[in-house]
Amino acid sequence: MKTLTALTATFAALVVAAPAHAWQPSKPIEFVVTSSPGGGTDNFARMIQSVIAKHNLISQSIVVVNKGGGSGAEGFLTVKTAAGDAHKVIFGTNNAYLLPYVAKLGYKFSDMTPVAALALDEFLLWVKNDAPYKSAKEYIEAVKAKPDTFKMAGSQSKDTDQTLTSMLSASTGAKFIYVPFQGGGAVGTQLAGGHVDSHTNNPNESIGQWKAEQVRPLCVFSPTRLASTTKVTATMGWSDIPTCKEQGLPVERFQMPRTVWLPDGVPADAVTYYADILKKVSETPEWKEYIARTVQTGQFLAGDAFKAFIANDDKNSRAVFEREGWIVK
Amino acid sequence: MISRKAAEIGLASVTALFGTVIAYGATEFGVGWAPSGPEPGTFPFYIGLIVLVASLANMVAALVAGDGTPLLERSHLKDVARFVVPMIGFVILALLLGIYVATFVYLLGTMRVQGRYGWGRSIAVSLGLPLGLYALMEKAFQVPLLKGPLEALIGL
Amino acid sequence: MDNLASLFHGFSVALSFHHIFLMLVGILLGILVGVLPGLGAPNGVSLLLPLTFTMDPVAAIILLTSMYWGALFGGSTTSILFNIPGEPSSVATTFDGYPLAQKGKATEALSYAFLSAGFGALVGVIVITLLSGVVQKFALRFSAPEYFAVYFLAFCSFIGLGGAPVLKTVVSIGCGFALAAVGMDSVSGSLRLTFEFDALLAGISFLVVVIGLFGIGELILTVEEGLQLKGIEARVRPSDVLRTMAMMPRHWATLLRSALVGCWMGITPGGPTAASFMSYGLARRFSKYRQGFGKGEPDGIIAPETADHSAGTAAMLPMLALGIPGSATAAVMLGGLMIWGLNPGPMLFVERPDFVWGLIASMYLGNVIGVILVLATVPMFASILRIPFAIIGPAIVVICFVGAYTVGSRPFDLWVALGFGFVGYLFKKLNYPIAPLILAMVIGDKAEDAFRQSLIMSKGALSVFWSNALVGTLMALALLLLVWPVAARVLFGGGRSSAP
Repeated sequence: MKTLTALTATFAALVVAAPAHAWQPSKPIEFVVTSSPGGGTDNFARMIQSVIAKHNLISQSIVVVNKGGGSGAEGFLTVKTAAGDAHKVIFGTNNAYLLPYVAKLGYKFSDMTPVAALALDEFLLWVKNDAPYKSAKEYIEAVKAKPDTFKMAGSQSKDTDQTLTSMLSASTGAKFIYVPFQGGGAVGTQLAGGHVDSHTNNPNESIGQWKAEQVRPLCVFSPTRLASTTKVTATMGWSDIPTCKEQGLPVERFQMPRTVWLPDGVPADAVTYYADILKKVSETPEWKEYIARTVQTGQFLAGDAFKAFIANDDKNSRAVFEREGWIVK
Repeated sequence: MISRKAAEIGLASVTALFGTVIAYGATEFGVGWAPSGPEPGTFPFYIGLIVLVASLANMVAALVAGDGTPLLERSHLKDVARFVVPMIGFVILALLLGIYVATFVYLLGTMRVQGRYGWGRSIAVSLGLPLGLYALMEKAFQVPLLKGPLEALIGL
Repeated sequence: MDNLASLFHGFSVALSFHHIFLMLVGILLGILVGVLPGLGAPNGVSLLLPLTFTMDPVAAIILLTSMYWGALFGGSTTSILFNIPGEPSSVATTFDGYPLAQKGKATEALSYAFLSAGFGALVGVIVITLLSGVVQKFALRFSAPEYFAVYFLAFCSFIGLGGAPVLKTVVSIGCGFALAAVGMDSVSGSLRLTFEFDALLAGISFLVVVIGLFGIGELILTVEEGLQLKGIEARVRPSDVLRTMAMMPRHWATLLRSALVGCWMGITPGGPTAASFMSYGLARRFSKYRQGFGKGEPDGIIAPETADHSAGTAAMLPMLALGIPGSATAAVMLGGLMIWGLNPGPMLFVERPDFVWGLIASMYLGNVIGVILVLATVPMFASILRIPFAIIGPAIVVICFVGAYTVGSRPFDLWVALGFGFVGYLFKKLNYPIAPLILAMVIGDKAEDAFRQSLIMSKGALSVFWSNALVGTLMALALLLLVWPVAARVLFGGGRSSAP
């Protein structure tokens, strides 16, 4: 039975991939996840693993290894120790290229080979359900009126949430007290319990509390409204949330890409091999369901499009890091 | 022979050194009290200092009142060395050749030399454990262990 | 009584052949994962996670939680038989479990452990069943100052006047806090004390240190004392189990106190490991037989085990109702919930009663099955001890290092485990207490984070720790526990206590 499955798998892989590529994996592949088990990046990688397994997209077996130490830096360091090894695939967010700015690390962004981004996770501005603010504009005005009294909670320091808070402060003049907590779950509870005034959680992190009408979103940091039309509360769904730009906030767009990388010095064929597999993954119904369920924006980026995205995101974030004085060295 | 007193002083100097390193390392991040609470280095800095001071006190106590009885009987020292030295060898080997190969060599060595078992039983056990580990870890739990050049050669 | 009706509905969901089969599989796999040091419940659960993507959520969560129960049980087995904690939360079980087993009473020790674990889990589930609504509201009142107070309380209830020299205890605690501070500082987002070594970037893993201090350190000590894992009665006589069972009611005070400590730490969430230490500390403090602690006192096994399991169980509530994980394993399951399309939050109880109550019902069943299964595996593990030391000694060495490696797949951790093996040996020889180091490592960085978060929120005002009745009470209680031994000595003269 096992041999049969293996044979079918090999056969399927040959039929699917062989004609197009010279590079094929020759031993088990390691998925290096730059977060601890249960984190967003972990779910992202394990989801891809299960889709690949279900559709037999890769003939070799896949092992997932969590290396979340140092905010994920530990996982990205794999690119150094495994240079040239195309059997190590690294999963992350934009922290792949932003971490080396804020911490002294043994790798540089140039040590990594970008493969693809599969999704963009959205950021929303949330307040407590019974807060008096009807719109994002109103809230920001209230913060401006009393600088350094409103508490903005977020996950970690010098990471996406704090970067967004800094952008918001710089562009509107609203000064928050930023309080870093361990993760989106803890951040959500702090707002629901009324210990802080707002946060910028991803949809997925706060959907439960929105449903229970403990918190509500004011606006989404995306150029267009969210796609999902299902109602979350009795009256509102994701697509009913205005964009922050509509609300007159100057931060039009802030999204976190879910990214895949290879070490430096791998054959170009290998990069296309993985990019093609990931493209196929992004087209499966299971993947689309995952994207819908976690209210991310599905967008497949590879090659030059991905590089352009990185360059742009890098530029914007770097500006914030410089202003805040977070850059080390 | 190492006396208890010497061991006390030795361990206290190690912990004192550890405390110093921690306190020194913490100074890089500021060890004061900023308007919004302690700076990142404050907590480790004072912990390091406390460890240093307590270690020095332990050292003085050992110097003043330490007892000169040996920490280990000579025969016991030999037993410990017979166990510890191969173990260190195992760690070094594991880092060079991977855990599987090192396990084989280590078990074969200890069983043959120290346990005085026959070749047959020694080989059976020292091959059995790494193979069992492989089946359990890599196959059942999908947790890769440290591998070396031999595994690379046979394409695992 | 709505909850009871829901519970019966839950039983109708959980009691199917398919679900009970998954429970069995989960518990057995869990015991295996729990027995292996390093490979803990969080790893085990995350390995099973992809398998569950295609399962129905009720079946999936039953499989994962059963694995968790199994791992909690399995972790105590090795703590008692080998003095090697298979799980972080079973560290405190070694303090009295191993000495009792060495007296030739392994069966009693294991029975005490499993029966009190079962009791703790049961109390945990009952709390979830009856108080889910109240607890949810209560947990929302917790912010950074309250978290700090919880850790401080746990710390103060364990650290008191022990038998070990005070200065050596201070060194031990200090080393623990210092080790916990290495790596990413999440409040400032900077890497601390790594001295630019890549190997220190992820910090020093508490589990690897435990494997070194207990596993390797204990082996060296064993070798010195005569090359044998000392005479442990290997068979499980059903009569011994029954006799232990009959003894349990006598320990009602410890059982109840520990279950309460466990539920408290599971909900707040201080976590199962801190809960077991706190409970052990309190049991020692309130026991009439304080001298016997550390030498195989049954209360010293019952306290940490009960608290560990009730905390592990109660931690499911904040996970489901608030989306905050009370333990590392709960964090993994939380990831699973989202993948299965469930949104943790108060509405989960309303929208998916099948899932929530099916899970709660399965917790009752799973723990009963767990106790039976784990007792059945005891003879197998105990028989390992009859293998000559020349074989089993090196084999345990290999398993310890394999465990150290699996914690984070870091080659450097082999050195860490070896180094702490020597430290553990020397600490024991020279009468430095090890337990305070472990506790400091467990709660050190969390307590520091909570402290600094509190001060960020209060703009630097220390009064935040007395700002409301809840945090004020917790802090006062902690300080009371801290000074109690000193006060008692002054007031009543002659302190009697001993350290693990």
